[in-house]
Amino acid sequence: MIELIDVSKSFPGGGSPAVENLSLEIKDGEIVVLVGPSGCGKTTTLKMINRLIEPTSGTITISGEPVDTVPAHQLRRRIGYVIQQVGLFPHKTVGENIATVPELLGWSDGDIEARLNQLADAVQLEPEFLDRYPSELSGGQQQRVGVARALAADPPILLMDEPFAAVDPIVRAHLQDELLALQDRVHKTMVIVTHDIEEAIKLGDRIAILSDGGQLEQYAPPNEILREPANLFVANFLGTDRGIKRLSLIPVSAIELDRGPVVARGASEAETLEAMAAYGTDWFAVGQGTELDGWAPAADVGPDGVHEVRLEPFRTRLTPDSTLKDALDAVVSSHTSVAAIFNGDEFLGMVTADAIRDEILR
Amino acid sequence: MIEFLGEVVAWFLDPAHWTGANGIPNRVWEHVQITVAATSVAALLAILPAIVLGHRKQGGTLVVGAVNLFRAVPSFGIVVLALPITIGLGLGIGFWPTFLALLFLAIPPMFINSYTGVAGVDPDLIEAARGVGMTDAQCLLGVEVPAASPIIIAAVRVAAVQVVATATLGAIVGWGGLGRYIIDGFAIQDDVMVFAGALLVAGLALVTEGLMSAVERWLVPKGLQTAGNEVARIAV
Amino acid sequence: MILAFFSWEWVFDHLDDIWDRTMEHLLLTVIAVFFGFLISFGLSITVLRNRRLFAPITAFTGVLYTIPSLALFALLVPITGLSVLTAEIGLISYTLLILVRNTVAGIDGVPMPVLEAAAGMGYTRRQLLWRVQLPLALPVIIAGVRIAAVTTIGLVTVTALIGQGGLGFFILRGLSLLFSPVGTTQIVVGVVLSVVLALVVDLALVGTQRALTPWAKAKEAV
Repeated sequence: MIELIDVSKSFPGGGSPAVENLSLEIKDGEIVVLVGPSGCGKTTTLKMINRLIEPTSGTITISGEPVDTVPAHQLRRRIGYVIQQVGLFPHKTVGENIATVPELLGWSDGDIEARLNQLADAVQLEPEFLDRYPSELSGGQQQRVGVARALAADPPILLMDEPFAAVDPIVRAHLQDELLALQDRVHKTMVIVTHDIEEAIKLGDRIAILSDGGQLEQYAPPNEILREPANLFVANFLGTDRGIKRLSLIPVSAIELDRGPVVARGASEAETLEAMAAYGTDWFAVGQGTELDGWAPAADVGPDGVHEVRLEPFRTRLTPDSTLKDALDAVVSSHTSVAAIFNGDEFLGMVTADAIRDEILR
Repeated sequence: MIEFLGEVVAWFLDPAHWTGANGIPNRVWEHVQITVAATSVAALLAILPAIVLGHRKQGGTLVVGAVNLFRAVPSFGIVVLALPITIGLGLGIGFWPTFLALLFLAIPPMFINSYTGVAGVDPDLIEAARGVGMTDAQCLLGVEVPAASPIIIAAVRVAAVQVVATATLGAIVGWGGLGRYIIDGFAIQDDVMVFAGALLVAGLALVTEGLMSAVERWLVPKGLQTAGNEVARIAV
Repeated sequence: MILAFFSWEWVFDHLDDIWDRTMEHLLLTVIAVFFGFLISFGLSITVLRNRRLFAPITAFTGVLYTIPSLALFALLVPITGLSVLTAEIGLISYTLLILVRNTVAGIDGVPMPVLEAAAGMGYTRRQLLWRVQLPLALPVIIAGVRIAAVTTIGLVTVTALIGQGGLGFFILRGLSLLFSPVGTTQIVVGVVLSVVLALVVDLALVGTQRALTPWAKAKEAV
């Protein structure tokens, strides 16, 4: 557990303190995200944990021991550190970069080599990159190497300062997913600094929202913060789409799916009208069991039933792992106002706007 | 040692050393004259073509070659080598071999810097100038040269100091200047004269450096003066 | 016109002499640059630990550099005589400015993220200097060594005036025999070989730099 006890930092000639009397505890194995506007002291706080910045007052302990009881460099060899611009050593190969801390700790060559292969696999980096130089890698690849390098000596704690800010949104999303997958396997204690609230919501087990001077405005799991922001500052910081942000945390599988106005392939006009009335829709769908053929507007059904009707396919197909936010997007942008949920080709059910709203209000 | 320094002081105090062709004022004047002459002529010969070539971005490889070659040439050797040339040309000894050697040494730094200075002007600046409707010549004179001026003026400073230094060696080929004291002193084994001459030369060189630096600061537009080094500060 | 006075015969007769003087020249250069580098390195580390010393150290080495070589040697003669020591003290003095300037600039040029990452990973200050800053500063440092070496080679010729040798010996000798082809030949030999030696040493240092910085090549190739 990492504990910050009444920590303050003032820089000489700097005016008001960067961090003032901050107290925070981070449990083992959890991801805590420090988020806040520029200048709120989140990076300063992070850097005080590995003593790149020394606090002016207050104590920081790791597993009960104050961090200043060992020489700084020894402390840092037990903490992984990733920064925005990565800072890979240009004069060393990727492999040598990753092996930095193990070498500092005196690991044997055999151990290091085994570890390198293990890590390359863990961060999805092809093994042949180990012999290349950083300048030959793309931005996303360099970030992965940065993470691998931080994890090389298997430190229990990982500190990350805006690690994905320098890459484009698509790569960023991938890296975030990979980090979460990695955490499932390695269970590190992670402290991540970001200014991106969406990233904080996605990654954090708990989020610490900081304002000027390192003031802790709220410290809670993302769902709680989104549902009940502690004050106006937090509410403003979260943005006016708080409700929708919450939706990105809830998977489709968490709610009960409706079957929807689905009739069999040989259904009559009467059966179709009954189905539409039951669900209150002006359209109907045709399907059998877990097969869904498509939908059509109410006006298309005639005395012959659904037999000859031309059906539109459901274009957006979500899975039970999709978030309610994705479902809301499908609901809002489709003619049918529903999101169709599939498992592969198996039709599972539909999500309506009402179902989503019910979930938010719960 | 103290005794020796006492003799040197006495040498400076001797009024005989302040009059006549071999007096300090005359020697200083000769030295300054040739420096100004050589630097100015070299500047004319070097800077104008270099600016034009730099503007057109022609002759880059020539410049790279010139840089390497220039540094490798021994000034002492050039001064002496000039002698058979000027004799052959009927120009005699003394002033002309010294002057030609000084030209040879002053031209490269001013040429190189003027070229790289103009050629290296931020392309965005040039694009902006063209975009506003400047002609080639207007762009060159109004944008590129001013942008390159710090580097060019620095080169003039470097060249001037180099010339002052090398002019000292002119005494070897029969010219005057402050080097005269050193060379004559060696010849007649008058340690005091050698030392006094060396002090005068060193003094003039430092004064020139100081003067040229002040001129440089005065001439270079304030916005272009280089800032101090940024320092990395990490709590290691 | 000079070529009319050039005597190949003299050259071939004195190949041994020429070789000896060239080696002498090279030796004087190597000693000067070597010690100059050691002293500059020490000064640079001092400056990096204490930034306020940068201005005074630059001023001091700058003064040494500005004093014309002949004058500097002449000022040293009463103290250390007409000796190799005088020559070396003078030659070393000239290398200091460029070497200190380049060493400091090279180390300052190491990107901040690299330093921050290295410190954050647990390098001690000394390890940071030797394993990160110096290797990355190498190209700029060696560029400084190149300039120092080439400049020194030129200045060694002047030491002939205080009784030292090297190729300056031929220049001076040629001067005294000026009105004969043998004289002109010697001057030319002195000058040309001095230039050639400088270019060879420069190339050798460039080669050394390439060999020591394989990562720079990778960047070029991409």
